Amino acid sequence: MSSETGFDPELYKRFPTTEARPEGELEQLDEVWCGPRRPWEWITAINNNYIGVYYVGAAMLFFVLAGVLALLMRTQLALPMTGFLAQETYNQIFTMHGTVMMFLFAVPAVEALGVLLLPQMLGARDLPFPRLSAYAFWAYLVGGLCFFASLFFGLAPNGGWFMYPPLTSTTYSPGINADFWLLGIGFIEISAIAGAIEIIVGVLKTRAPGMTLDKLPIFAWAMLIFACMIIIAFPSIILSTLLLELERALGWPFFDAAKGGDPMLWQHLFWFFGHPEVYIIFLPAAGAMSTLIPAVAQTKLVGYRLVVLAMLATGFISFGVWAHHMFTTGMPQISINYFSAASMAVSVPAGVQVFAWIATLAAGKMRFNTPGLFAVGGLVIFVMGGLTGVMVAMVPFDWQAHDSYFIVAHLHYVLIGGMVFPLFAAIYYWTPMSSSRPLSERWGKWIFWLMFVGHNVTFMPMHLTGLMGMPRRVYTYLPERGWDLPNMISTVGSFMFGLAVLLWVVDMVRNFRPFGNKDAGNVFGGPGLEWLPSGRYSLRSVPVIKSLYPVWDQPDLARDVEAGRYFLPGAPRGERETMITSPINAEPQYLQRMPQPSSWYVWGAIFTAGFFLILTIQAYLVSVISGVLAVYCILKWCWGLDRPSGPATVDVGGGVRLPTYVSGPSSHGWWAMVITLIVSGMVAIMACFSYVFLWSRRPDLWQAPPEIGSLPLTLGLLAAAGVGAWASQGALKLDRPRSAGIAAVLMLAATLAAGGAFAAEASAWWNSGLRPDASSQGATVYALLAWQGTFVGISLLMGPFVLLRWLCGLVSSRYPATFEVVALFVAFTAVQGAATTLLIRLFPGVGA
Amino acid sequence: MGFPTTGEAMGRRAMAGALALALCACVDKADLPRPMVQADPAAGLAVIEDVGCAACHKIPGVAWPEGRSGSNLAGFGARPLIAGRLPNQPDVLIRWLIDAPSMDPGTAMPPMPLTQDQARDVAAYLYTLDED
Amino acid sequence: MLDPAGPFAGPIQTVAWVLFVMAAVVMVVVLGALGVALFGPRKWKRRVGGERLIWIAGLAFPVVVLTGLLIYGLTTTARVADAPKAGEMRVRVTGEMWWWRVAYLDDQGREIVQDANEVHIPAGQPVVFELESADVIHSFWVPRLGGKTDMIPGRRNFMRLQADAPGTYGGQCAEYCGGPHALMGLVVVAHAPDDYSAWLERQSRPAAAVPSAQGPLALIDQGRNVFAASGCAACHTIRGTEANGLAGPDLTHVGSRQTLGAGILPNNRGTMAGWISDSQSLKPGNRMPSYAVLSGQDVRAVAAYLESLK
Repeated sequence: MSSETGFDPELYKRFPTTEARPEGELEQLDEVWCGPRRPWEWITAINNNYIGVYYVGAAMLFFVLAGVLALLMRTQLALPMTGFLAQETYNQIFTMHGTVMMFLFAVPAVEALGVLLLPQMLGARDLPFPRLSAYAFWAYLVGGLCFFASLFFGLAPNGGWFMYPPLTSTTYSPGINADFWLLGIGFIEISAIAGAIEIIVGVLKTRAPGMTLDKLPIFAWAMLIFACMIIIAFPSIILSTLLLELERALGWPFFDAAKGGDPMLWQHLFWFFGHPEVYIIFLPAAGAMSTLIPAVAQTKLVGYRLVVLAMLATGFISFGVWAHHMFTTGMPQISINYFSAASMAVSVPAGVQVFAWIATLAAGKMRFNTPGLFAVGGLVIFVMGGLTGVMVAMVPFDWQAHDSYFIVAHLHYVLIGGMVFPLFAAIYYWTPMSSSRPLSERWGKWIFWLMFVGHNVTFMPMHLTGLMGMPRRVYTYLPERGWDLPNMISTVGSFMFGLAVLLWVVDMVRNFRPFGNKDAGNVFGGPGLEWLPSGRYSLRSVPVIKSLYPVWDQPDLARDVEAGRYFLPGAPRGERETMITSPINAEPQYLQRMPQPSSWYVWGAIFTAGFFLILTIQAYLVSVISGVLAVYCILKWCWGLDRPSGPATVDVGGGVRLPTYVSGPSSHGWWAMVITLIVSGMVAIMACFSYVFLWSRRPDLWQAPPEIGSLPLTLGLLAAAGVGAWASQGALKLDRPRSAGIAAVLMLAATLAAGGAFAAEASAWWNSGLRPDASSQGATVYALLAWQGTFVGISLLMGPFVLLRWLCGLVSSRYPATFEVVALFVAFTAVQGAATTLLIRLFPGVGA
Repeated sequence: MGFPTTGEAMGRRAMAGALALALCACVDKADLPRPMVQADPAAGLAVIEDVGCAACHKIPGVAWPEGRSGSNLAGFGARPLIAGRLPNQPDVLIRWLIDAPSMDPGTAMPPMPLTQDQARDVAAYLYTLDED
Repeated sequence: MLDPAGPFAGPIQTVAWVLFVMAAVVMVVVLGALGVALFGPRKWKRRVGGERLIWIAGLAFPVVVLTGLLIYGLTTTARVADAPKAGEMRVRVTGEMWWWRVAYLDDQGREIVQDANEVHIPAGQPVVFELESADVIHSFWVPRLGGKTDMIPGRRNFMRLQADAPGTYGGQCAEYCGGPHALMGLVVVAHAPDDYSAWLERQSRPAAAVPSAQGPLALIDQGRNVFAASGCAACHTIRGTEANGLAGPDLTHVGSRQTLGAGILPNNRGTMAGWISDSQSLKPGNRMPSYAVLSGQDVRAVAAYLESLK
């Protein structure tokens, strides 16, 4: 294999090393990675072994909370017209059940699994941005709990988890309930995106040397695809929640038909996110299945490459099927036909994975332990759900089944079979890695059977009630329609399911003992790196990987790794460190210095959550203060970044020396910024789509843009901004006596130019007489301007930040990472500004 | 003067007990459902649901609606009066169900589309409602 | 859907059976393979335990079956949703929170009769429904006659339904519209074609308070006066009187409907009185306030008046 980075693969032959490790090396490693000692250190902890457990715990807490809501719903529906819950209460409860399950449980749970497992599985010491995961977690927990608490005040959203306008506009939802959803869920999505950035950079840049892409554990593939899907899909819902909130708060008519808006715009934006969302939820669970089924059957996964391709295909095709949620909205026949075909196609790669699992079980010898039972049970339920999915992909059938209990049945079969059961399998399988005691096998089997039977008793009758005509989201139903008995049966089943979850919670309390010094070991005989003996520092030394199943294929691996005979057997700089490797061949590139815990990101998370939630209750001054404090905390956190010190290269074992500072396209920070800009770019693209879509619905409402003569000023200033930013980092690298100062001033000037361009463009539009609350053109133009304005605002923070760093002597030509990353941002801002300006100025035309 | 012997005391207690029981029997007799022959309470409930009496009245055995315009009919069987005015007897009740305004012009309850037999069955059902 | 009554519902049931059989067959195959994988003899397990299973059962088989199903599905989607053609009967239904505004159209699309909550159609011919919404998204669904189509503000959707035989067909709103969405029911009544024209002709007449055996004329007159004095005309229309409010259902022939409250209560004087007196306890959140200001006799009078509007 040719080298990707120039690294000489012969160097791998030096490992495992044979000489004895120095005295105290292991102790120093342990000390540097020590866990929380004082009480507040439990909150500031950033090691993925802690954050991962917290994250899974929080996700399961929301699972239980949303599950209790479900039991309340089923109690209400057990009999026709019971008065157990008032109409408004039920409407809030069913909205919260869906919202909490989808946003606060499903995506965070699989993201949490990634946070907990990936570093161990990849042979890294931690995720590449530990403080970012801590920030994401605390924002999620604080925000999620406050959001859930809205139920206790009767302020929970009541528009259904997909919150269709116009029902959710201020006219028909005058209270702040809908705002809780829009602002609360909006920023939880930010949390998910932060996690996705971590996972992409983690999977591609922090693998053990030699772990080429064809030896990448299947779970890591699943998480990589999952994270890429989040990057592309979540911006759509971020945009749509922003737009609806703007409509509610300021009257900008995106979805209000009276002023040119269209409720269908919401549906397109929401489902462009919403359909990939369910595959986002499914793929990591499928990756977990592909990992633990081989372990349970004690044989290698059959069809590894097919499974990887299938996951890629699922991810890709899932972006093309969103309108199958809209078959009844009166779309043109040709669109309906296309979406029907694509929806059928997306089931094929899922089937490939299912048969790969069956083939693997056949190739090995299944042991009926708890993870195995949950895996097989989940497979069966998932296949049933997939089959009803094919049924509703057939348009005439969907015209009957849509918005009925048949769909409720379908969605629970695929989500519970495709995600919840694999999650429980994963919990039973991987608990021994994090806990000093495994969970009880005896209880586990009871829990499995209770859950499996309970699930089917609950949801199977719903297929029938749906076909009998019972719609979704009804707080009650009239008697004498034949719906009574199936509903009662469903309620009984739901309590069985609830009992199983309760037993699981009890077993967790009895047996789950994390954060100790010893873990329970490789109870189920798994093949991955996570089963090597490890501590808070993950592996003692980072091995050279030669196979997809290292623990099975390299028998002395555990002993050698523990003895420190591979890469990075200690902490060469006396700090937390991990290795950064190249994306395809995992060749060592540099040593990443990792941070120690502090409190800035925790406060930043709390103030971020505070900003959004206090905005919801309309205490504007307090909310702004919270926002300012959040920005301050984040800037303090950033101030500590990019502070190189110590030797330029370090021995990472076997005499191999790696640099300690890398900037440019190989560096993890650069990657993180690029991914963030892709997210932003997607939001801008979806906003441009909204502009064109609304124009196509009401071209009669479009008035002429500002005079073409004012356009060159905007474009010129934007060009200056882009060029200035790029020149700034180039100037820095020239390493002349005054390079640092020139670079800093150029960057500041670039950000000011971007600000000037924004001011010019915004005033041009204002002077043309267009107002944002007047028409859909106004709304979309000013939305695009507002998005650009946000970026300009951030740039205007970055310019002085860079200048300040120079004034404090923190800028040097040898260490250009901050400048590169800021330059990327400012240049992107310029390009985004130019693209959106050209669209609103030149489309559909320049004159009246 | 002598204290009552044990035997006398017991005898007095027995008399008191028997008297109490007899009184209870009298009280029970007054609360017995009014006798109705050839009337089917179950059929009456079905008529109540078909005709929609619960649109105005909360009626045990009917989950919905729970109307508030008319009185709550729980315990109707034990009440002495219909609508606070008329004696609660089967023949009176049947006439009331079919044409209430003719017996009380101020009532909000309109004449209901019931045959004699249906009204009998409804009355029989209402008389089973003797618990509050 | 399990008991179709027309040509826009029958084929869907056939599709459903085909899909169900397909699903059952696939389930048997999957469970069979799984059973062999878990419990089968070694020879069978070897056949199943390789990539060949994935290629055949996971790729080839599904692609073939799904392609066939797709073609079947696309051809079954009859021209349900085309714009109306000349000579087709047209009805416009507008979804409101939480009732249905009905208007019968002539071939130029002009409204000739307004009504509410109960749609009457001639049996044995397709009827084009023009579906709109006055407020939020609703969905028009009469399962025995066909699938559902959403009613979206700012758009007009078309859907054809046909009842083969005269009868009553129930439906319900199928897109969550807040509040008592669960109680937004619907009744479609199909007539034999000659009966239908007679019915439509009667419906198009303005209200004539016809004294009937149900109550003395005096009570009906009193009811008409109470109706006028209580402000009911602010929301309701009774053609032939001064009442021409548009916020609530048209009451010109309300006495002839089978249900009240949009399909949720039987229609007689008693339920009518209960609805007027306290509709909030029957359908909480609906747009009609409860009339605690009316005396018992007044309530009876209005109920008698409205029931006389047949």
